[in-house]
Amino acid sequence: MSFPFLLRRLVLVIPTLIGVSIIVFVLLRVVPGDPIMMMIPPGATEDDIDHLRQLYGLDKPILEQYFDWFSEVLKGDFGTSISLRQDVVELILSRLPATIELAVAAMFISVILGTLLALIGTFWSNRWPEIIVDGFTGLNQAIPDFLWGLIFILVLGVLWPLLPVSGRIDPRISLDLVSQFYIAESLIRGEFSVFLTLIKHMIMPAIALALPLTAVISRSLKASLRETMTQDYIRMAQIKGFGPWRILIVEALRNAMIPTVALSGVQFNFLLGGTVLIERIFSYPGIGNMSIGAVIDRDLPLIQGLIITFAILFIITNLVIDMSYRTLNPRVRNE
Amino acid sequence: MQIRIIAAALALFIGFGQAQADSHDDVLTIAYNVNLPSWDPTVGLSAVNPTIQSIYKSVFDQYVDQNPDLTFKNGLLTGWGWNEDRTKIWLEVRDGAFWHDGSQVTAADVVWSLERAGNPDTGNPIQFIWSTVGNFAVDGNRITADVLRFEPTIFKWMAFLTAYVLPKDYYESVGAEGFEKAPVGSGPYMVDQFERNSFVRLKRFDKYWGPQPEFETVIFKFVPDANSRVAEIESGSSDITIEIPYEQYDRLSEKDGLQGRNTPVSDIAMIFLNDVGVMEDANVRKALAHAIDKEAIVERLLRGYGVPIDTLQAPQYSAFDESIAVETNPEKSKELLAASGYSTENPVRFKIQTTRGFKPKDYEIIQAIVGMWRNVGAEAEIEVYEIAKHFELRAQDTLAPAAFYNWGNAIGDPSTSTGFAMFGPSPHSTWDTDDLDAMIGPLWGEPDEDKRIDGYKTVDRYIAENAYVIPLLQFVQPIVHRDGIEVTPHVANFVLPQLVKKTN
Amino acid sequence: MSEPTQSRRVHQSSLIRVWLGGIVIGLFFLIAVFAPWIAPHDPLKQDLFSGLMAPFWLDNHDPAFLLGTDSLGRDVLSRLIYGTQVALIVAFIAASLAALLGTVLGLLAGYYGGWLDTVVSRLVEIWMAFPPVLLSIVLVAVIGTGLHSVVIAIVIIDWTRFCRVVRAETLVQREQEYISSAVSIGFERWTILWREILPNVLPLLVTLLTLEMGIAVIVEAILSFVGLSVSSDQATWGGLIQEGRQYVHSAWWVMSLPMICIIIAVLAFNALGDGLRAILDPVMRR
Repeated sequence: MSFPFLLRRLVLVIPTLIGVSIIVFVLLRVVPGDPIMMMIPPGATEDDIDHLRQLYGLDKPILEQYFDWFSEVLKGDFGTSISLRQDVVELILSRLPATIELAVAAMFISVILGTLLALIGTFWSNRWPEIIVDGFTGLNQAIPDFLWGLIFILVLGVLWPLLPVSGRIDPRISLDLVSQFYIAESLIRGEFSVFLTLIKHMIMPAIALALPLTAVISRSLKASLRETMTQDYIRMAQIKGFGPWRILIVEALRNAMIPTVALSGVQFNFLLGGTVLIERIFSYPGIGNMSIGAVIDRDLPLIQGLIITFAILFIITNLVIDMSYRTLNPRVRNE
Repeated sequence: MQIRIIAAALALFIGFGQAQADSHDDVLTIAYNVNLPSWDPTVGLSAVNPTIQSIYKSVFDQYVDQNPDLTFKNGLLTGWGWNEDRTKIWLEVRDGAFWHDGSQVTAADVVWSLERAGNPDTGNPIQFIWSTVGNFAVDGNRITADVLRFEPTIFKWMAFLTAYVLPKDYYESVGAEGFEKAPVGSGPYMVDQFERNSFVRLKRFDKYWGPQPEFETVIFKFVPDANSRVAEIESGSSDITIEIPYEQYDRLSEKDGLQGRNTPVSDIAMIFLNDVGVMEDANVRKALAHAIDKEAIVERLLRGYGVPIDTLQAPQYSAFDESIAVETNPEKSKELLAASGYSTENPVRFKIQTTRGFKPKDYEIIQAIVGMWRNVGAEAEIEVYEIAKHFELRAQDTLAPAAFYNWGNAIGDPSTSTGFAMFGPSPHSTWDTDDLDAMIGPLWGEPDEDKRIDGYKTVDRYIAENAYVIPLLQFVQPIVHRDGIEVTPHVANFVLPQLVKKTN
Repeated sequence: MSEPTQSRRVHQSSLIRVWLGGIVIGLFFLIAVFAPWIAPHDPLKQDLFSGLMAPFWLDNHDPAFLLGTDSLGRDVLSRLIYGTQVALIVAFIAASLAALLGTVLGLLAGYYGGWLDTVVSRLVEIWMAFPPVLLSIVLVAVIGTGLHSVVIAIVIIDWTRFCRVVRAETLVQREQEYISSAVSIGFERWTILWREILPNVLPLLVTLLTLEMGIAVIVEAILSFVGLSVSSDQATWGGLIQEGRQYVHSAWWVMSLPMICIIIAVLAFNALGDGLRAILDPVMRR
């Protein structure tokens, strides 16, 4: 992978982001309701309303409004949240780490679990483990993450209360962490008990989020493992007398992984999107939870900021995945 | 075998975390139904959201306070009143009250808070009340001010929405943004840690002027999903929770280690009628009102947790008149509709808007009512909206012909129920007709309290006879808490941690 | 085991999937079409005095209400049957419209290339960056609740799935020999698109369409869950889940039955789609 290539990809991000911003803007300005009506105190006069309209620049032509807004966005200013009355960027940045930790944990779980299932299914191909793996994957593709969330709360939170059902951390614990990346920071500082509570709070939402992706990964990986196992170099390894697990993991997995890695980019977007409902169900304080609140309150600046944040997250992850794909796959490396 | 090892490791790991969290018994955790949007209790929409007042009331003091039965008591003011001819008001500020930063609460703070509330630029939603007094003068702890426009309920308002005293010097030095980050009040608890969308942890304030609360630490955990709140209390993660489905309330109250409390609160379910389209036909309105079996809704749907009402006054309110009644009579509804040419074959059609999950069973109540209407010849199409959308539509007076709403009225005055809801020029009204406005208008400035209350009773009767609005029921607040604590329910629908006692 | 038997096995299992999925969906389809005749009760008929009655496997059930009643006394079975109607309408209409939009754009972009291709590809790229669940919630909040907004939201969000695949496939087909021969014979471009390329893209399209129907069922459930789907008291599976959650401890079946319906429907759509993919895909068929 070469530096000019990275640069080219980075440059290509810009038009995408501009496009995202235009669509977000258009989408929210066709809101049938008038955003101003949300902000006025009861009993406001026509003059007050006009005053506010001017204050928020809503009296200008739509194109001008867009350019005003976008030039502020470029400066990193998404305006002030209507319902929370604070700086949108500050609000999002304070909640973003929670979502990133959740999404990374879910991604981690689904990669590990998905790979494990694919290996099991391939190793015991055409025997009962494969049937179980196939059944699990098939079923899992039909169960959306929020249904898993509901089931987990009922089973592990109520019937057999092993795990906390809401929040990110036990509020009784006084935290003196400097960042919002609680899990990472508590681990670095060696605060093991804090780390444990954090993990306990994260298990259910992370697994609920991870399961649909697990199915996708295991399915795709299994398919390519099956294909790889028929390749000549694997036959060579078999002739050389390597053990079947060694062949599977050391020889086959690396090449079989390539299409799965390529696929996981798109899938990560579904995982990110899933945080919206999962965070709500588990009262997990991330930007997904904040999004539903913003929609309910019709908080336009906050919704705009949140959607763009999600888009940026997606673009960054895809860039990273693309890079690793290229590193893994020698065939596209030199293109 | 491998599975067993994993299970053992899991148990160890889970057990470890559990033990470590249980070692605090001076902590009260409340699983709360809404997020706290902002720490300034005097500006913006959140200030008039009745649901979050419990948190505000733990951290801030009001001018005047209310007992759990809604009677008034001293807050940061120890005395108040009008002069003879009601051209001036006087206020007596409490001695020995302190802000959480240690400085003393002074008359200057009170004057600053009142002036700020009356200033339209600050965005206080109740500014139209606060601006009726001005020209404050301070003499020691006594404040006097001119009445700019006579408002008979001004002292009741001092115990209601946005009536909080904020620290002048502190607020001016840190500004609005700084205040959000580190709020300072004079209430029984001070803010220890605020994790947005997650929880707020409060610590007991040792220099509080009133009785010291029993719990040193209070946590309001924000759990907007009702079923997750049930899981919170059932798993023992929280000590108290509120606003859960009544089925769950019944089940949890029976459970070992848990107790339930239920009190009728000052929240009223009602259907706004808008003076548009088919609703201009008196027969239709009356038919709709008579078709609703409120008893059945309360008994069956709310499992008995609710009080049917026929006016906008709950029994605890000062203008409640039990002689005003609207009978349930579907046959009469059919006759009334037939008189206007409607029948079950040719039903009158209109749209009804409702929230869903905003109050317990709100959506189910409306579904049940639409079912009752369907039986007499009215076909209502249900549209679900968020509460913010309701405010927006109501401010524009573009609500559907029928719209479900929950009207809170913690001070129990008729002006803040019938007055605001039914008076045409009021920005909150939906039914705007001249006959009603002519009746309510003079009551706003009526100085004789008895005449004013009687006047509202007459108005309520007139409204009931003409079915200008359909009052449904008074809600009951279900509270579930663990054994070992005693919770005092508040008719204003508050769960105040300072009122929670330990019993063992 | 030798290669051909392996491939025949795959083919057979795909056939089974297609049949199974097809039969289940066919059943759902029949239920939806004949709902007024099958449903034992009016799904909207309430009786507050017979709320939350038990289903047939419990002792105190009423034979008239096979799966019991909800809190308003409405027949759960009838509501599930009518919910099938909504689910299938959303699945078929939304998926077809998304396919139509995506295919037209994909065909045009893939075949004509040039600036059109650049614009469409950019647009797809931009679209992919939006978080799908949040976008659908925002869309429905903006348009307003109702069957049509659910359909619009699904179409707006998911047309890219079709567009991407169809465009890529068209690019491949365009380079094929038979197209160049068609061009040399002098066929109109439109005719080529319609007669030569579309039929070749069709197998893929059918597969995608089937899978998309499963997705549409889930999206409807998500929107109902947030309280934004089809409003009024119309029965939908997602709406039934949301209603049933409130009394999951006293009547777990009210929430579980629609969940099972959703899972079965999505499984069937997936099985049909996967099976079709394996059978129709020329590479796998070989």
